[in-house]
Amino acid sequence: MAALRHVKLMAQHALPLTELASVIRSKNAGPLCVTLDLFFRDQESYERAAQSDALNLNAIAALYGLLRTQIRRFDMPEILAIKLSMPRTVCAGHPGDGDLYGAQQHGPLLSLRV
Amino acid sequence: MTSTHKPTAVSHLLASHVPGQERLRVLSASGQLGFGIVQDSLARGLQRKPHFIGCDMGSIDPGPFYLGSGQMAAPKDMVLRDLELVLLAARQLNVPLIIGSAGTAGAKPQLAATLALLQEVAQKHGLSFSVATVCSDVPRQILIEAVQDGRLKSLDPDGVSLPLPVPNPSQIELATHIVAQCGTHTFIEALAHQPDVLIAGRSCDTAIFAALPQMLGYDPALSLHMAKIIECTSLCCTPGGRDAILAELGQFDFILESMNPNAHATPASVAAHALYEQADPWVVEEPEGTLHLRHAKYTAIDAHRTQVSGAQFVPRLAPTLKVEGAVHTGSRAVLLAGVADPRMIEMMPKALQTVLERVQKLVPGPWSMVPHVYGQGAVRSLPPAHRSLHEIGLVIEFLAPTANMAKTAASVFKQNLLHFGFPGRLSTGGNLAFALTPSEIEANECYQFMLYHQLVGVSPQEVFGIEMHAWNFEEAMA
Repeated sequence: MAALRHVKLMAQHALPLTELASVIRSKNAGPLCVTLDLFFRDQESYERAAQSDALNLNAIAALYGLLRTQIRRFDMPEILAIKLSMPRTVCAGHPGDGDLYGAQQHGPLLSLRV
Repeated sequence: MTSTHKPTAVSHLLASHVPGQERLRVLSASGQLGFGIVQDSLARGLQRKPHFIGCDMGSIDPGPFYLGSGQMAAPKDMVLRDLELVLLAARQLNVPLIIGSAGTAGAKPQLAATLALLQEVAQKHGLSFSVATVCSDVPRQILIEAVQDGRLKSLDPDGVSLPLPVPNPSQIELATHIVAQCGTHTFIEALAHQPDVLIAGRSCDTAIFAALPQMLGYDPALSLHMAKIIECTSLCCTPGGRDAILAELGQFDFILESMNPNAHATPASVAAHALYEQADPWVVEEPEGTLHLRHAKYTAIDAHRTQVSGAQFVPRLAPTLKVEGAVHTGSRAVLLAGVADPRMIEMMPKALQTVLERVQKLVPGPWSMVPHVYGQGAVRSLPPAHRSLHEIGLVIEFLAPTANMAKTAASVFKQNLLHFGFPGRLSTGGNLAFALTPSEIEANECYQFMLYHQLVGVSPQEVFGIEMHAWNFEEAMA
C-alpha cells in the first residue's frame, strides 16, 4: 500500500518534460543511428528528469519500439543534458525512410511527464 | 611545381608562425560552402587577419543521392559566389585556403566540379597560385581485398546503430562512388607540397582545421577539438547561426568568437555543441586515433567568447578509415495527393494494397510502391489517437528500373486510386485532391547507401591521391 501511495504521489507531481527542458532535439549520428538530446532549464529540472522512470532505458525502449540493449543513455550533469542514442529503423535515404536527417524523431518525448 | 619566385601561402605560414609568440587565428568561413556565406561576418573575420581560412563543403547528411550521382547539393551559382568570396580573401591576405568534402559527398566528379569552379574564379580575377587536391575515391580492389580478409567492418559493434551488411565483392563492383574520409595526416601530406589552396574530396571535418596547427606543432587534442567545433561555424553559439567563427589557438587552450556580434559562444552553448550529431558525446573517432572530451573545460572569457581546454587524444597504432558508398537502384516517380474524406482515410491501407494489386497487372515489371501517408505516421509511427481523421497527405514513391516505368506506374496508380470504390463510399467524384498538375512527378535517379563501414589494415597513402596544380592567369589578364 505504501508503495502504491508513493506511485500515486509521484504521478500527481509529474511535470511535462516540455516544461522542464529548453531543448528536445533529434538528429542522425550517421545514416544508421539517431541521437536525441535533452537540455534542461535548471539543476532541479535536470535532476528530476535524470531520476525519472519515464526516461530510463526500459521506458525509452518501449516508447521507440526497441530493445533496452539497443539504446545508450549519457547523463551530463555538468551541462544539464541527457543524450539517448539508438538505431534508426531504416537507413537514411532508403525507400520508406520518412526522415532523412532524423530531425523529427523527438515526437514521442514531447508527451512524457517526469 | 609550386611557384618559385614567391613563397606560397602555406610555406609563408610554416616559416613565419611560432607557437607561443602569438595565437594562431583560424577562420572557419563556412560549414556548408555553396549555401551562401554571410558576407558581413566573413568581412569581420578577415579584419582579424586570420592565419588561414577553412571551409567545410559536405556531409553524408543530404542522403545517398549526392554520393551516388556525383552531383552537388549546393546550387552552382551559389558555390561560385562563395568560392569567389573565400578565394579572393585568401589571396589578398596570402593565407592558405582549405576546403574539405568538395561538392557535397567529396566523390571524384564533385572534386573535379569544385576545382573547375575555383578555376573559373581564378581566371575571372587573373590570379596565379597553386592548388593541392586530395582524391578520396577508394580503389575497388582495395575494398574487395579488405572484404575477403575481413578488414571491412561495422562502425558500431556495440549495437546502437542499424546494422548495414558488409557488401560482397560483386556488390562493391556495382557501387557508383565509394569514398573514404581522409584525415588530418593526409591533409598534412598534401600541405607538405606547400600549396596556396587545398581542396580535398571526402574528408573528416576536423582535418580541414587541425592539419596546419599540427604542422606548426600545436597539440593534436586541442587542434582536433577546436576543429570539431568550428567546422559548423557559429552553430556552437547562442543563437546558433551560419556566420564565420574565429578560433584563436594557443598552446594550452583555444578561444572561440563568432564573427556575428549577436551570436555568443558561451560555455553552455559550446559544450552543448559537442553533443551534436554524435552518438557518444565524449568520444570522437578519427582515422589517427580517438579524441576524448569527457574532461574538456569551457570557461567564459566574456559574454561573447569562450575558452576551451582539456581534450585528450589517444593515437591509434594503425589508422582506420570510414568508408561511404552508394549504389544506383533505379528511377523514382512520386505521386502527390491529399485526402479529406474520413471514410477514405480509414480505408487507405486497404485501398493502397488493392490498387497496387490491380496496377501490377496493368503495368508489368519489377517496380515497387512505397507510400508515405502524412497525418497517419509517415515521419514516425503514431499512436492511433494521434492520427489525423479529417485530412491526410499522400506522397507515394514508385521505384523502377527505368524512369518511364516508374512514371507509368505512378500515372496508372493515380487514376485507380482516384476512382477506387469501396463499401460505404459517398464521394463518388474522386478520392484524391491534387494540388499540382501533373500530380505524378519524375523524381530523379534513386540511390541507396551500401557502405558506411570502417576499413582497417590499409595505408591512407594507398587510398588517397594527392595532386598539385599550378595556375597562372595573371599573364592571361595582362
